[in-house]
Amino acid sequence: MKLQIDSFRGIPMEKNMSSLVKRMSVLLLLLVFIVPASPCSAMQTLNAKGILDRVDDLFRGKSSKGIMTMKIVTAHWTRTLKVEWWSEGKDKSLMRILRPKKEEGTATLRVGNDIWNYLPKVNRVIKLPSSMMSASWMGSHFTNDDLVKESRMAEDYTFELTFRGKRDGREILEVTCLPKPDAPVVWGKVMVAVRPVDYLPLKILYYDEDMSLARTMYFSHIGPLGNRILPRVMRIVPADKPEEMTEITYEQMTFDLDLPAEVFSIRSLRR
Amino acid sequence: MILRLAWRSLWRNKRRTVITVCSIALGLTFAIFFIALAEGAYEQMIEQMVRIQSGHITLEHPEYRQAPSVDLWITVPPQLRSEVEKWPDVEETKLVILGQGIVKSGAGNMAAAIMGVEPSVEKASSPVARNLITGKYLEASDKSQVVVGSEMAERLKLAVGKKLVIATNDVTGTLVEELCRVKGIFRTGSEEIDAYFIQMPIDFARRLFHLPREGATQMGVILKDPGAQKRIMKRIKDRLDDRPISVLSWQEVMPDVATYIKMDKGSNLIFQAILIFLILFTIFNTLSMSVLERQREFAMLLAVGTTARRLRLQVFAETVFLGVIGCVAGLFFGGLAVVYGHVYGINLSAIMGESVNISGFALSSRMYTKLSFGIFFGSAVTVLTATLLLGLIPVRRATRISIVDTLR
Amino acid sequence: MITVAAISLNVAILIASYGLMDGMVKHLVSNVTNMVTGEVQIHAPGYLVDHSMYKVVKDPTGIMERLGSRGIHGSARSYGYGLIASGNKSAGALFWGVDPDMEKKYFDLADHVETGRYLSSIPKKEIVVGRKLARSLNARIGSEVVLVVQAADGSLGNDLFTVRGILKAAGDRIDRNAAIMHRQDFQELFVSGGRIHEIALNTRGAVPLAALEQIATAAAPGTDVKSWRQLMPSLSDMVNFFDAGMWLFGMIFFLAAALGVMNTMLMSTFERIREFGILKALGTSPWRILGDVAAESFVLSLVSTIIGGIIGVGLSLFFMHKGLDTSIFVPGDAAVSVSGIAFDPVWRATVSVKTILSPILMMCFISLIASLYPAAIAARLDPIKAMTRV
Repeated sequence: MKLQIDSFRGIPMEKNMSSLVKRMSVLLLLLVFIVPASPCSAMQTLNAKGILDRVDDLFRGKSSKGIMTMKIVTAHWTRTLKVEWWSEGKDKSLMRILRPKKEEGTATLRVGNDIWNYLPKVNRVIKLPSSMMSASWMGSHFTNDDLVKESRMAEDYTFELTFRGKRDGREILEVTCLPKPDAPVVWGKVMVAVRPVDYLPLKILYYDEDMSLARTMYFSHIGPLGNRILPRVMRIVPADKPEEMTEITYEQMTFDLDLPAEVFSIRSLRR
Repeated sequence: MILRLAWRSLWRNKRRTVITVCSIALGLTFAIFFIALAEGAYEQMIEQMVRIQSGHITLEHPEYRQAPSVDLWITVPPQLRSEVEKWPDVEETKLVILGQGIVKSGAGNMAAAIMGVEPSVEKASSPVARNLITGKYLEASDKSQVVVGSEMAERLKLAVGKKLVIATNDVTGTLVEELCRVKGIFRTGSEEIDAYFIQMPIDFARRLFHLPREGATQMGVILKDPGAQKRIMKRIKDRLDDRPISVLSWQEVMPDVATYIKMDKGSNLIFQAILIFLILFTIFNTLSMSVLERQREFAMLLAVGTTARRLRLQVFAETVFLGVIGCVAGLFFGGLAVVYGHVYGINLSAIMGESVNISGFALSSRMYTKLSFGIFFGSAVTVLTATLLLGLIPVRRATRISIVDTLR
Repeated sequence: MITVAAISLNVAILIASYGLMDGMVKHLVSNVTNMVTGEVQIHAPGYLVDHSMYKVVKDPTGIMERLGSRGIHGSARSYGYGLIASGNKSAGALFWGVDPDMEKKYFDLADHVETGRYLSSIPKKEIVVGRKLARSLNARIGSEVVLVVQAADGSLGNDLFTVRGILKAAGDRIDRNAAIMHRQDFQELFVSGGRIHEIALNTRGAVPLAALEQIATAAAPGTDVKSWRQLMPSLSDMVNFFDAGMWLFGMIFFLAAALGVMNTMLMSTFERIREFGILKALGTSPWRILGDVAAESFVLSLVSTIIGGIIGVGLSLFFMHKGLDTSIFVPGDAAVSVSGIAFDPVWRATVSVKTILSPILMMCFISLIASLYPAAIAARLDPIKAMTRV
């Protein structure tokens, strides 16, 4: 058979950090945003779809910037990166490495379906082939693809509040999300545990189709971030390699600022 | 008169005649069988490859060959397609859509070559369809089902019924994603195919890539008689008028295979030449020796007054008889062998193992001979002509003997 | 004598044909194995499943020394995946870290360069790429390329390299993915600390495959040792297919040659029936006649087949060195790659005991039998009839 695949072939598959993780986390962060720290009773009267729609609309057109520390632990090495980022809407983002010094200035720009990398050591900008979408970003458990996916949560899942009470010594609300039959998501089920008092997420569990746990996302260190209260630490742990993880700590974040268009250009990539 | 003499003289020395006739007959049998076998093997290989790909003739977008991409598609009017299918030399036509994307499951993701096919057509010819290890092959009515290779299934932990998300760029370049389920898993034995190919019903592919209803990447035409290729290509080109569709032969679509076959055929021709040389040499030898043997006989004939010319004619006539009988016998036995080889094939599994995987398709260990009037006719004519020509040499020598010396 | 000439010729042609047939198959294999794969490869257990760069061969130097002392040599290689970019084009690639001197000595890929040249012995951040990869990057000799990889310590390895060579067709995998550099450059880029992922051994046919596998397994305990047949099942299958085809062809040729020999012997012996008749009339016993004929034809057969053998060997040797260039049947560029395997258009014969001895022995045998039959007839014939046979 004459293959027409480009040279991506031969690259081993990387663990895919589902876009859902990112989407869900953003969704929930914003959930918190629109429902200010107030008594929980309002939650039960709103239906799940209503919440999602509101979140979708609120999320659109928003921008953000910030600084985070990413700690990656794999079976063979451990790394800590300090990354600065800017993002606008759902298809523009720029990320730049601040630490370690060896990689300072390395940046990734995503606009639409295209991704560029700037490499300060050789002072070159390269455009990634579309096949690299699934490759992991900087060796973490996130992939380039995560930066690109469009969010369609309202279309992809049905939500239902399934548990209210104490678990592991904490009061939580648990929402079970099941993918709609035709939704292009790989999961069989997603379970979200939130704080009843302000609906900040504590844990998200991702199950594959066989209902076995594929990965877990933990949220902690709730505190002020920009003009909101959010969990400042997120950790992803793959279920089949529990010794590995990627942990993001948000140090600073600013929301809804005006970002000039040049921010998401190749020129600014090089800066 | 001469003919009768010639005939009788042949039967006077049965042993010699039989040996000579046998040489010619057997020689021809071997030649026919060898050529039929070699040609048959090539045809088998080509037929298999052609059916898996897009047929003996491929119709595609003019720019597709340079830079294959799903957005270079063609629309073949259905009337044209059904007309072509009715032509006597055409066996069938098929449409395929070819694209690339990423395939994701809960266990990870990998690159994939996406093939939208027409299940009714592919079922019979595709190695994918014929090598399913679990599940079932596609049906046209399947909405979002796919079949994947065993390697891909292993790496992505897929099983029949499991979910799969395909992410790719549609014809406008927009990223699209679709959920599908695994209907079957195949193992062709070719690592490339088993790890990268996924097949889906062509309508699903159209939905995925946002192609219009009659759109496809290629239309393939499979012929009943590969020899009709050029003729059918021309007919199709005429039918297409000025439409921007390229009509390519399989040699243009798979140039590497075409080149390889040419080279291999070249070496095969060399073998054929050697074999024919061997056979003709044997025939020549036999004829010469038989003439030499009969020196006394000739000397006596000349002594009693037969003219040299008559003698020569007689001997030549004998050669003609020998040649014709030999060739007829050779055609008979050679034909028998070829027909057997054509219908039952020659089972080489003792040497080769059960089947062989080349480039993703299993070549069975039966080699089939080609049944062709041309091979029979050509070989027979060659051998007969050569026999007659070669026979002339000893004929001349026959009459150049010294009567006295010989009869002493 | 015509008889001798005829038999010799038949034998000679048969031998030369077998040589060519055998050569076709053997060269198919050696073309591929000599290029890069070698006859046997050594990897860490499990490496071939996921190509994880952390699965390394332990003590590669020790292994190579042990093998070297037994006259078996090869090349140690490191591999890693990454991105190669030129201008605004980029592609995924498999990077090789090799020792250019070892590669040049024991494998043919270093000579298989279409434009430019192979790597120099000194690390100079040079890279040699497969031809399809070069094309997809629009890269030429002297082009600058950016390499980006995930280094062994997790950091982002990147550097600028120069394209020094573009390979000829060497099989799909290499054409599309291969980017070869000096092992020291590899070490620097990947922070790999001299890790070796593969030891490929090549004796160019000097050591039989099974023996080679055994020796390698003994010299490299705890590793995964595989022969080319296991590493390239496609090629292995193709070889079996060809073997079968050649066997069939060989049979036909054998029959044709046997026919020739038998014919010649039959006729020449029958020719002498008058002679036998006279002998019989003179009182020689039939057994004696038979015996004489047998002895004579034995000598005749032997001599003819040996002469034929010598000529045949000569022809085979000629074709072994010169070879027939089948690319004359193909107009244009004869770079052929089928099923991921590149084909060399030059067709050479091989000379081996198998291709020489068995034709000689078989033909000798046949010619002997062929002579005994008419002799037996003569021995039983009425002498008058025999003498007057015309």
